[in-house]
Amino acid sequence: MRKCYLFILVLLLSSAVLAQEKRPPIPFNTSRKKANANQFIEQQWWLGFKAGINWAKASPIKRYTILTPINYDASLVDKQYDSFKEIGFQTTIEITYYYHGFYFSLQPSYINSIFTYSNQLKWVNSANANESLTQTYSQSQKVEYADFPFFVKYDITGRNLRPFVQLGMFYSVLLNAQKSVTVSSTDVASGGTNQIDSQPLITGAKDTFGNYWGFTGGAGATYQMGNVRLTFEANYRQSLVNIVNAKNRFSNDRLSGIGDAQDDLNLKNIVVSAGVLFPMRYLSTSFKSNDRN
Amino acid sequence: MLLIAASCSKKNDPQIDSAKFVRIYDTNKFDASYSPIDVKQTPDSGYLILANRRLPDPNFFNGTYLLKVDKLGAFVSELEVPDDKVAPIGPLLEASGKYYFFSMAPGNYQTQLSEVATDGTITKTLPVGGSYPSAAFNDAGNFVLLRYDNVAKQSVVSLVNPQGSTSKSVSFTIGEGNGVEEKFISHFTRTGRQFPFQVGKTSAGKYFFNGFYKYTFSLVFTDLVNKDPLGVAQGQQADGGFSQLLPLEGSRYAAARFNFGDNYLLPSVTVNENGISSIVNLGGNNLPELVQNAPVKILSLKVNEKDIVLYSSNTKSKQIALFGYDKTTGTFLGSHYLGFSNPFEIASATPTTDGGLAVCGITYVAGKFSRICLFKLSKADLSNSFK
Repeated sequence: MRKCYLFILVLLLSSAVLAQEKRPPIPFNTSRKKANANQFIEQQWWLGFKAGINWAKASPIKRYTILTPINYDASLVDKQYDSFKEIGFQTTIEITYYYHGFYFSLQPSYINSIFTYSNQLKWVNSANANESLTQTYSQSQKVEYADFPFFVKYDITGRNLRPFVQLGMFYSVLLNAQKSVTVSSTDVASGGTNQIDSQPLITGAKDTFGNYWGFTGGAGATYQMGNVRLTFEANYRQSLVNIVNAKNRFSNDRLSGIGDAQDDLNLKNIVVSAGVLFPMRYLSTSFKSNDRN
Repeated sequence: MLLIAASCSKKNDPQIDSAKFVRIYDTNKFDASYSPIDVKQTPDSGYLILANRRLPDPNFFNGTYLLKVDKLGAFVSELEVPDDKVAPIGPLLEASGKYYFFSMAPGNYQTQLSEVATDGTITKTLPVGGSYPSAAFNDAGNFVLLRYDNVAKQSVVSLVNPQGSTSKSVSFTIGEGNGVEEKFISHFTRTGRQFPFQVGKTSAGKYFFNGFYKYTFSLVFTDLVNKDPLGVAQGQQADGGFSQLLPLEGSRYAAARFNFGDNYLLPSVTVNENGISSIVNLGGNNLPELVQNAPVKILSLKVNEKDIVLYSSNTKSKQIALFGYDKTTGTFLGSHYLGFSNPFEIASATPTTDGGLAVCGITYVAGKFSRICLFKLSKADLSNSFK
């Protein structure tokens, strides 16, 4: 697996390096000074800062369970995953190189995502159907990653307002993970209806997750304000591998004790960010970064 | 790029899935209650679990239950054994590719031996005779059986073969009166104290039983010929004695003892196999975290290329505790706790072919429902815990 990561990283870097190696020829009838200027403004470095919010959804690749049904359908204990329900946040530093209409952008980020799921268990007294116990386990999983996405971005049109599309890949390094479990029970076997809501059990779950990688893509727009650009964008990102550390699936006694084993998961995010980008190269004090690119 | 990415996807590894897992076997029957007795790994790398099951009133005794799961712990089959086999005892005894267990006929309390295939089905049941089977031991394909004779009021040790025939038998009085018998009856009906009855064989070839002899819960050595014991290590009536023993070599044992509720682990202790001695004087490591008169299981296994004795027992915090000691020196190597939130109690543990350990116990799902749980620890887990 490590060899694969290395290979992909080399490909990404080499594509960026090759992009920089291509130098357009200076037109025959252009003065050398103007040609140098053209060549200069056809390239640009941008440094920016972005922040925003994200919504996450986990999708099971393979389901695991601790509570193993003997006389009822195993699908009844399956976890039900919520779609993009809770809000997380992210902050990003953007380092972008512009060359001939394309942007090659490295955007290291801190991303904090929350996904939620629940499952319900029910026991009924066969001799007296009025006696039953229903338990609902509601789980909120927070995962924090250092994210290293590499984007290729293209401006569709415009001058001051520039819509763009971008596509890329990312590698995420796990920083932390925490799980909160709330158990609510409806007990109608004790002579009446007894509603019991437990205090959430909050436990570290870093060992049950791992680093992962995937693809990302989206769209947005930049707006030229003076010499800087304001940027607003929305991206979809999805892991291409299991984000769960299978070796530690059952290592957390707190979670095993309440019957929770992490499914193998794909993580999907909708990420919305806004920020500002600064040009790093100037021809003169009167130069505007949007003069050419 | 995406194709390369896809080809590098993390794949599920069955070895990881079978090396470590936790399972709780649940039924949606509100009034069902299971209490495991023993677990054994079968040749297909799955597991066979023998358990008690609660029978509806007015049955005095527990019924029998067999559960077969695969190497990942996934449910394969169950057998709610008809109620003509009650009060089953462990361990599951393996002989010639079959498994055996003793139980009792509910009407006349007579002992019977059932043969179980690796898929968890009972293939035959044979009458053995004699009442109240209490403990069993696998002596290289023949079975040593401890039972209670409620007519003669005797502890009886017998040698039984897989065909149900008894070749040797010797009896020892529990004492006159009904005092000790009441303890037997409350043990069998599970309405009172569960005594750690045990029968086995020493490294020198003597047989022993841990049970009642002359009013006292004692360790009694016998050659299955003489009516008098070869030696007796006495407890304190019903309030002190051995909880479990594992013969090591010579007269050295890994043992656990209870004394008025306290628990002591003795990973290397010399027991006097001849004459009369007292268990109370043996000392040991007092473990206040264990429940009163805790059930203890002791296993011998190899971890990190080192022979260890592994104790498993129940803690007051409702976890299953594993304590590892060096088999040669008795030095403490480490501990490992299983379970959290819901209560967990030990039933049995067995080494697995992958160098790990399977620990079978009871848990109470939602705090109410007594269910069988199975922890599979990997070789790495054991290596990390018992260094």
